[in-house]
Amino acid sequence: MTEAIAAAPRLAVEVGGLRLKNPLIAASGTFGYGVEYAGILDLSSLGGLVSKGLYLAPRDGCATPRIVETPSGLLNAIGLQGVGVRAFVEKVLPALSAYDTAVLVNVCGDTVEEYAEVTRIVDQAEGVAGVEINISCPNVKKGGMAFGGDPRMTSEVVSAVRKATRLPVIPKLSPNVADIAVFARASEEAGADAVSCINTVLGLVVDVEARRPRLAFGTGGLSGPAIRPIAVRMAWQAARAVKIPVIGIGGIACATDALEFLIAGCRAVQIGTANFVDPGVYDRVRDGLADYLRRHGLDDINRVVGTLRYPGLPVAEELGG
Amino acid sequence: MTPINKDAVLVSRQPLGGPYVLLTLRHAEVARASRAGQFVMIKAGTSAEPPLRRPFSILTVDPAAETFRLFLKTIGAGTRALAALAPGDLAQCLGPLGKPFTAPPPGREALLVAGGYGIAPFHLFCEELLRAGGRARVFYGGRTAADLQVREPFAAMGVPLVPTTDDGSLGHHGRVTEAVEQYLDAKTGPVALYACGPDAMLHAVARLAARRSLPAQVSLDPWMGCGVGTCLGCVVWTQSAAEPRAHYRCACTEGPVFDAREVVWPGEDGAR
Ligand SMILES: Cc1cc2nc3c(=O)[nH]c(=O)nc-3n(C[C@H](O)[C@H](O)[C@H](O)COP(=O)(O)OP(=O)(O)OC[C@H]3O[C@@H](n4cnc5c(N)ncnc54)[C@H](O)[C@@H]3O)c2cc1C
Ligand SMILES: Cc1cc2nc3c(=O)[nH]c(=O)nc-3n(C[C@H](O)[C@H](O)[C@H](O)COP(=O)(O)O)c2cc1C
Ligand code: FES
Repeated sequence: MTEAIAAAPRLAVEVGGLRLKNPLIAASGTFGYGVEYAGILDLSSLGGLVSKGLYLAPRDGCATPRIVETPSGLLNAIGLQGVGVRAFVEKVLPALSAYDTAVLVNVCGDTVEEYAEVTRIVDQAEGVAGVEINISCPNVKKGGMAFGGDPRMTSEVVSAVRKATRLPVIPKLSPNVADIAVFARASEEAGADAVSCINTVLGLVVDVEARRPRLAFGTGGLSGPAIRPIAVRMAWQAARAVKIPVIGIGGIACATDALEFLIAGCRAVQIGTANFVDPGVYDRVRDGLADYLRRHGLDDINRVVGTLRYPGLPVAEELGG
Repeated sequence: MTPINKDAVLVSRQPLGGPYVLLTLRHAEVARASRAGQFVMIKAGTSAEPPLRRPFSILTVDPAAETFRLFLKTIGAGTRALAALAPGDLAQCLGPLGKPFTAPPPGREALLVAGGYGIAPFHLFCEELLRAGGRARVFYGGRTAADLQVREPFAAMGVPLVPTTDDGSLGHHGRVTEAVEQYLDAKTGPVALYACGPDAMLHAVARLAARRSLPAQVSLDPWMGCGVGTCLGCVVWTQSAAEPRAHYRCACTEGPVFDAREVVWPGEDGAR
């Protein structure tokens, strides 16, 4: 038998209790509630998808303009416009049940109590695989990054959410901190099952003619290939700091990009801005991962996780596969 | 129909005057299913820059040839890359997207008010209206004569076209809405207004329609990131009898065509 027709490499991964058929997850806020892409791509081909951030009540979000393109990136200040968690549970979840993919809910709150309350509603619903805690949105005045920028607050939110559900709990960490390892550890100690790294990088684009920020909100969150090296570095730091798995996020547009995160120690990855550029990105990345494994004579994606040969550091010996 | 995401092949490219160009692309589903006012999100090739696709109205379709045409004004990196495509080159293309124009009730003349590249959706719209036995008249405004590149197709369809230019180089010297007002002052039968162009023009048409109690649909032109309702970048502040509380709606999925009365224009009461 030639190598080309050898069995397809295994892409399934397990992340803090989440079983995913492949390590590719659609990132929060870049994939709507999932249903928007239902006819455009096969949702069942995704490892998972994360909903847009949800509070208890619907929210209008920021004034416009809300997005501006930057070199290899996108600066956004959407401000978590959303339908509220109850509408999501009643109207969207039933539609998503038709697809074989893990649905995660991105949970938001202005207060610790709100995070817990949203989580309880999600916990009671049918068809949710896990909770991602958004403590890292740079575009809201309360909550968001305020929780993700202080390890004690991170710990408080994660504990409260932990108590509100038996689903896997995954805090999404902010890159706008000096040492992400501190926040990864605080999350682990507070009972998180995994951490997502990273949310958008705080940025500012100036309209020089008007001498005003280009975004109505002022600052915004930078995403896309522009932030990938920062994201890989931070995901790597987080992965070294904790035993729970890390989900890598930031600027992934092709298989090589995803592999950077996996090799740096991430068990799975999320794809964000690339959804806007090409909704067909998942097929390309999945095929590219399989090709890479074949080329390297590997039969399982878990065998690349954490295999970074970093100067002066030991290579992880116990490989997942 | 569900929009289809695939590579469209550039079939031909026809430079017009100045920054304008006509592109013919092959994408069977867009060619088959598009209605006037709908658009595609498209990007030349797979180069990293600029990162995002761009929205363009569908000018015409040829279902038999499985092609559609775009009328492009090159202004920045995205439109330049598209305008530079050669026959055989690929463009990542998702469409058809958005809600089309709704035809006026029988007997009402459709007045189509275009500013610059805002002429694009009205070619297909005239074809649809004429096919259904309706009547249309186009008011086409630009800075100067060279901005009014798409005129012959309307003549060929027998649709009257009133050109207007800011510098007087062609047609009425002044704003396109002035030409519309003049026509309305002289006319008695029922009309419906349709507008596509710069925001200020759309707002002027909305005011005109409100003043004269005329139905009006406007095709808005916000910055779009995704075209499918997920980035929430394209939202428009709206209010309606059905939903009196002002709220954001996505121009890409609930527009780009809106009832002019439902748009809360910047500077108006209740604007954000
Ligand atoms: C529904 C819809 C239909 C459209 N149809 C057509 C069409 O048929 N023909 C056509 O030529 N253009 C059309 N446009 C506008 C077109 O999408 C923009 O001109 C294009 O995105 C500019 O991209 P760029 O990279 O060349 O310019 P950029 O470098 O992105 O922008 C150059 C300048 O134009 C501004 N700009 C960017 N995008 C827009 C926009 N959407 N509206 C207004 N200003 C913008 C930028 O702020 C900047 O100042 C349409 C837009 C929408 C939303
Ligand atoms: C328009 C937009 C909206 C976003 N909304 C959310 C959100 O609601 N919740 C969240 O946790 N992250 C949100 N993010 C962050 C992304 O999920 C992701 O962490 C970030 O964009 C980096 O990944 P990328 O470079 O692949 O886009 C948003 C990003 C963008 C671009
Ligand atoms: S363009 Fe992204 S939501 Fe409309």
